[in-house]
Amino acid sequence: MYRETGLVNPTPPSSGDDAAPLGQVRRGDEQAMAALFDRYSKVVYSVALRALRDPAAAEDVLQEVFMQVWRNPGGFEATRGSLGGWLAVVSRNRSIDSLRRKRPTEQVDNLALASNYNLADEAERNTMMEKARGVIRQLPLDQRKTLEMAFFDGLTHSEIAEMTGDPLGTVKTRIRSALLSLRKALTA
Amino acid sequence: MNATGHNATGHIEPEDLALFAMQLLTQDEAASIAAHVEQCAECRQALAETHGDLAAYAHSVDLHSPPAEVRERLMKQVAREKKAVPIDRAPAQERAKEHEPEMVPLASYGRGLGRGAYLPEEEAPRRRSAGRVLPWLGWAAAAGLAFAAGNLYQQRDALRSIIATQSSTMNQALPDVASARDLMSTLTDPAAKRVVLNTTPQAKPAPQGHATYVASKGSLIFVANNLEPLAPAKTYELWLSPASGQAPIPAGTFHPDAGGNASVILPPLPKGVEAKAFGVTIEAEGGATKPTLPIILVGA
Repeated sequence: MYRETGLVNPTPPSSGDDAAPLGQVRRGDEQAMAALFDRYSKVVYSVALRALRDPAAAEDVLQEVFMQVWRNPGGFEATRGSLGGWLAVVSRNRSIDSLRRKRPTEQVDNLALASNYNLADEAERNTMMEKARGVIRQLPLDQRKTLEMAFFDGLTHSEIAEMTGDPLGTVKTRIRSALLSLRKALTA
Repeated sequence: MNATGHNATGHIEPEDLALFAMQLLTQDEAASIAAHVEQCAECRQALAETHGDLAAYAHSVDLHSPPAEVRERLMKQVAREKKAVPIDRAPAQERAKEHEPEMVPLASYGRGLGRGAYLPEEEAPRRRSAGRVLPWLGWAAAAGLAFAAGNLYQQRDALRSIIATQSSTMNQALPDVASARDLMSTLTDPAAKRVVLNTTPQAKPAPQGHATYVASKGSLIFVANNLEPLAPAKTYELWLSPASGQAPIPAGTFHPDAGGNASVILPPLPKGVEAKAFGVTIEAEGGATKPTLPIILVGA
């Protein structure tokens, strides 16, 4: 869908360290695949586990996401920002698809992603994670819960509004505000 | 969001973009935004940034290590799905390109993956020694052919043995696959009869059973919880009461676990029997042919 954007990386390419193993994966190098798995499996698995709350189902998503990389490493391109970020979002989307018992959505393969962090670098990744957790902890409770329900539970804004009794507009604003706070804190 | 997904400035509202990025919009809303984003660089950029925000949020999750077996399983599947690398992108060739100055790939000579320049050098020594080796060539060729034939024979036997093993494995797996398919179609069949069985009046925690039944396939899945422990030599038994008024059909015996949970998955039942009700009784170990009162759980 957004293959030819060329716009999604406002900062220098953040996937530099992933480009080499991805290239090797494209050529069928199994060791490179193992290296990518070792680098990102924890995040991919943890996101799936958080969404599905079922270790066996999370393992399936983990395997599925990495097999997707193996079968089609071109599905992720350098212009799409960080591979780690892409994998985390794909893991979440696959998990929500699994919760909804539907086939993987087309957008999954085509999402473009702008990131200011080089998630291929473990130290930088850990720093970003700590920072993100700190920001989320500081969010107002209603924003935090609403974002959690939307992202990790895959509830639509209508479903959230119905469950919380809040107006639709409020739900949407809370999600947006929570994401904005996160962005501001991480780019500060 | 208005009907087209755009705000007054002609762009997508950031709130809607976030919902779109999380795939939480209806198909129509999503299609409308997707169409706009495709054409609008500004919204495309905003969407990429939102995906970046979501990636950062995903990284706030508490980390858990996947079990080591998952890595093993993945690498096995990776090995099973070895890539057929196109000839013009073969690894040796790509590596050769990457290290062009120092690599005239000796290793590739034998495979014919060099770039043509090696051919004269390779042929030169052959011409020089041609006179000496010519008489032996016939014998060498014959020996080579005999060796190759022996090899081929062994390979054929090995392949036969592999095929036989795989056929046997497949044959063993087929009933499992059929059973899994039945299970899935029963669970997902919209025409399935789903019944909740309760005690009357309800107590807390009340024993409860859920039956999912597809008459045309004779497929039944029954899940129960909060069941009382059984006396020794007793078993719970599930019954299907046909709509035709015929005698109840035994649909499996079961014992609850320590938490009072039990299930009966795909018991052998005749196909095409419409159910009027389901019931659970307590029977002697091994089950009964007729239900013994009282009926512990019932649902219609």
